[in-house]
Amino acid sequence: MIGILKSMATTMKHALDGSTFTVEYPETAPDVSPRFRGVHKFSQERCIWCRQCENVCPNDTIQIVTNDQRQGEQYNLHIGQCIYCRLCEEVCPVDAILLTENFEFTADTKHDFVYNKEQLKAVPWYKDIDPLAAREPDRDAWVGEGEGEVDYQ
Amino acid sequence: MSTGLERQPAVEVTEDELEAIVGDRALARDDHLNAPGFVIRPDDVQDVLKDLRDEAGFDHLANLTAQEYPDRYESIYHLRKYADPTQEVSVVVPTTTDEPVSQTAEPVFRTADWHEREAFDLVGIDYEGHPDPRRILLPETWQGHPLSRDYDQEKPQLVTLTEHANPIQPDHHDDESDTMFLNIGPHHPATHGVLHIETVLDGETVVDVDPDIGYLHRCEEQMCQQGTYRHQIMPYPDRWDYVSAGLLNEWAYARVAEDLADIDVPEYAQVIRTMGAELSRIASHMLALATFALDVYGDFTAIFQYGMRDREVVQDILEDLTGQRLMFNYFRLGGVAWDLPEPREEFIEKTRDFLDGLPAKVDEYNDLLTANEIFQIRTHDTGILEPEVAKQYGCTGPVARGSGIDYDLRRDDPYGYYENLEWDVVTKDGCDNYSRVLVRMQEVEESAKIIEQCLDLLEDWPEDERTVQSNVPRTLKPDADTEIYRAVEGAKGELGIYIRADGTDKPGRFKIRSPCFHNLSALPEMAEGEYIPDMIASLGSLDIVLGEVDR
Amino acid sequence: MTGTTVAATDAASGLPAVPLQDTVLLPERIGELTGLDGFGLGGELLATFLAAFLIGNLMLAMTGVAGPWAKRKITAAFTDRIAVNRLGPAGLFIIVADSVRLLSKELIIPENADRPAYDLAPIVVAASALLGFAVIPMGSGLHLADPEVGLAYVFAVSGIASLGLVMAGYASANKYSLLGGLRAVAQNIAYEIPLVITGMSVVIFAGTLQMGEIVAAQHETLVEIAGISIPTWYAFVNPFAFVLFLVANFAEVGRNPFDTPEAPTEIVAGYQTEYSSVHFVLIYLGEFLHIFLGGAIIATIFLGGPAGPVLPGIVWFIIKIWAVFFATQWLRSAVPRVRIDQLIEIGWKGLLVLSFANLILTAVIVGLIA
Repeated sequence: MIGILKSMATTMKHALDGSTFTVEYPETAPDVSPRFRGVHKFSQERCIWCRQCENVCPNDTIQIVTNDQRQGEQYNLHIGQCIYCRLCEEVCPVDAILLTENFEFTADTKHDFVYNKEQLKAVPWYKDIDPLAAREPDRDAWVGEGEGEVDYQ
Repeated sequence: MSTGLERQPAVEVTEDELEAIVGDRALARDDHLNAPGFVIRPDDVQDVLKDLRDEAGFDHLANLTAQEYPDRYESIYHLRKYADPTQEVSVVVPTTTDEPVSQTAEPVFRTADWHEREAFDLVGIDYEGHPDPRRILLPETWQGHPLSRDYDQEKPQLVTLTEHANPIQPDHHDDESDTMFLNIGPHHPATHGVLHIETVLDGETVVDVDPDIGYLHRCEEQMCQQGTYRHQIMPYPDRWDYVSAGLLNEWAYARVAEDLADIDVPEYAQVIRTMGAELSRIASHMLALATFALDVYGDFTAIFQYGMRDREVVQDILEDLTGQRLMFNYFRLGGVAWDLPEPREEFIEKTRDFLDGLPAKVDEYNDLLTANEIFQIRTHDTGILEPEVAKQYGCTGPVARGSGIDYDLRRDDPYGYYENLEWDVVTKDGCDNYSRVLVRMQEVEESAKIIEQCLDLLEDWPEDERTVQSNVPRTLKPDADTEIYRAVEGAKGELGIYIRADGTDKPGRFKIRSPCFHNLSALPEMAEGEYIPDMIASLGSLDIVLGEVDR
Repeated sequence: MTGTTVAATDAASGLPAVPLQDTVLLPERIGELTGLDGFGLGGELLATFLAAFLIGNLMLAMTGVAGPWAKRKITAAFTDRIAVNRLGPAGLFIIVADSVRLLSKELIIPENADRPAYDLAPIVVAASALLGFAVIPMGSGLHLADPEVGLAYVFAVSGIASLGLVMAGYASANKYSLLGGLRAVAQNIAYEIPLVITGMSVVIFAGTLQMGEIVAAQHETLVEIAGISIPTWYAFVNPFAFVLFLVANFAEVGRNPFDTPEAPTEIVAGYQTEYSSVHFVLIYLGEFLHIFLGGAIIATIFLGGPAGPVLPGIVWFIIKIWAVFFATQWLRSAVPRVRIDQLIEIGWKGLLVLSFANLILTAVIVGLIA
């Protein structure tokens, strides 16, 4: 009986202190940490078409088509099937693809989440994000170029 | 609080003794990186396993891997000891391609039941004498065996409606008995995912239970076989036990791959790994506790919410550390992806705050759960799992420790930085739902101790020695036909991985030993003869994650 | 039907009769106000109907507030959440939104459902609770009828709910429903007896079954502490009976820790598994009505009915029944559900014995004093 009363006292204490741990999303969106891996930002200007991101991607989210001079022709991003592992950002030698902190993006079907390089210039989720700045504290922390040969094709 | 039972030191069995036990039955040796391996004939399986169990003390069938080579099928029984998991032996049973029939090991190890069903289902080996030779992960009507070499992926699985076994069959109501057949799940509030339990009830009493799994089978093993060792496999372990135990799962892969490719991990990275893994364990146990309360209390009650609230704090810390809340992908072969987030002090402070607040939280849980008399009458002496039965089913983790089996790979098969830290293995010998809850609650406290010590270490680590990754080649190509089985102590128990390298940069065979798979297979032992509510509570106390059961 | 004008005599003390506050029942008052009483039997019937309509709507409105809104808010407070707060002040308009949502949902009726029973069950559940309110004196003149067997009547009509539950369980052609229905019956039988017997101890005190008089009998002063007089509410006179009655009542209306007939984690939703849309609304309303009816009975026979200082009677009455509702939600947050066999055991071996002990004890005390 005492145990039951103790339980009830505990919940009542919570009811009376009036504190809540849920937030009113989206009015008060919780902050994500600087390392958070949200949706990608791709920079065509930076990209050197080395195709490492395409190779490292575990589930073919990134598709790159180059011409015979190894100049980039297509850069397709199938965000609907991305698993946000951040391996593309990790291997990219020029920070051309970055995972931003934005996790708010929607589409009606998975197919709406396929973007080519032109569309990637102006996708709505970029907003005012400067992903590089967000990553800055950690830039130096990242190591792991490895000894193996770097595949620049 | 530490160990309820005194540990029996395991008798060391040398390789010569092993050879003597197996004797003439060994056709050849096929040693694995982790254990000596004996090749035996398909009709000697029970004999050899029985001798190894009774004479050499290998009482834990950790895993069964089946695979097809160009010229043969092979079943590998990975045996180890509950008393000392570093002693391992593999029993390799090849069968011909034309007639893949092997003797079942089910009479020796009950857990072989489900394993052999899976091997039959995915690879196509028949086990002679198996009591229940059905498919387990795929639907009954599936054509072909997906992991066999001649399987045609392109061929559509077309089965007409009449042929298709209806999961919602009508009653097996025969005239003689007045039992009732009840489908619990796949969509039921208490199945923690998509689990289907075929139950036969006699009034409110459970007469027969048959868990039907596979609804969440996502071909994880096959996906890993198509990823490169270096990068592409690591994101997937997060998705096996997806309720925040991600880092523990990643460690399972990291450990096996590092041992396979002989990669060193800097000590600093090991400390970070240890800390992260224990944070994951806390998060996972919090959820287990919360959902167990949900099963026993009914609605989304206070304890569930408090559990989620506390888990949320852990998730925030893990998000700061890894960049994600569930699918961390933080470990790398040879270390971790990142050092602690800058500013370090802030991160350490935040984690410390959480640890400092933890005792009060634990007290609150004790007030709410363990002290509550109704909770006690609900959980005491229900869902009994005797230690001998638990061993037969290969139960590990909090389920085994709740049955008094002192088995924890962090201590018994040390990895990471656990050896150098002060902590205890929690065991309870109540064997009931209550013990399992207590074990989880106290493991949270032990994990907190570990994290505390890791934080101290990390704080004082000299700045110029903070190497988070060793130099690992971009492409890993372990030698062909190297085989290894390694396990870590996941949130639910022994999470092991078997890899056979085939000389390429992708594994030839990747087999996951899921603790939930084993623990769930013991459910009938716990639930039969109990009332429905106790069966639900037992299921909750097993803390299964269907993502890991079905893989 | 005539209003009770005979004042209650306190059986225990034999003190002079205290005049009742609400001597005029609601139908008569409406009859007077609208002039319907001049139309003979027909007018009287119409007035009664209007009164019943008023009370029924009051109760339904209360459940309307309780179900979609108050329950969420209370649970959220216990679990440190915010809960509904977007529609209207404190999210109150969610009631409208929820009503529209529930009523516009597709009505799915299982193929093998036993039709008339399936459709009738929600009505029986809801109506049995509404009928009970007919004899509850709510203060401020809100009292429909005051028959001499009032208390027995309340227990009788609220007991009809069990029939509704077993009908729902059986007619749904669903095994979970069946289990829920069976559990509901087993539970109601096990707990109705202690409930009624504990209620009887109050009858021994009051010497009557008439609700109006039971309330009137609680107007005495029990003790006076520092100028505040504690009335002879039976909760104060016999706290033991009060606790017993509370427990039996929670079991009777199937609330935690005795919510086994619904037991979401075990048998999905018990007898209401197969109900959707309007049917679901009715059965859900019925449940809440039963909680409120339980609260009303407790308020009437243990908490002095509508009595209370300053505020009008009806306000006090509503406060008291909401207190009981709040208690159900509080228990829900903190107490695990007992297993069905344990529940039956507690009912037959615990509560029944205790309630008999309480009855005998009360009888002895009342006998000694009188």
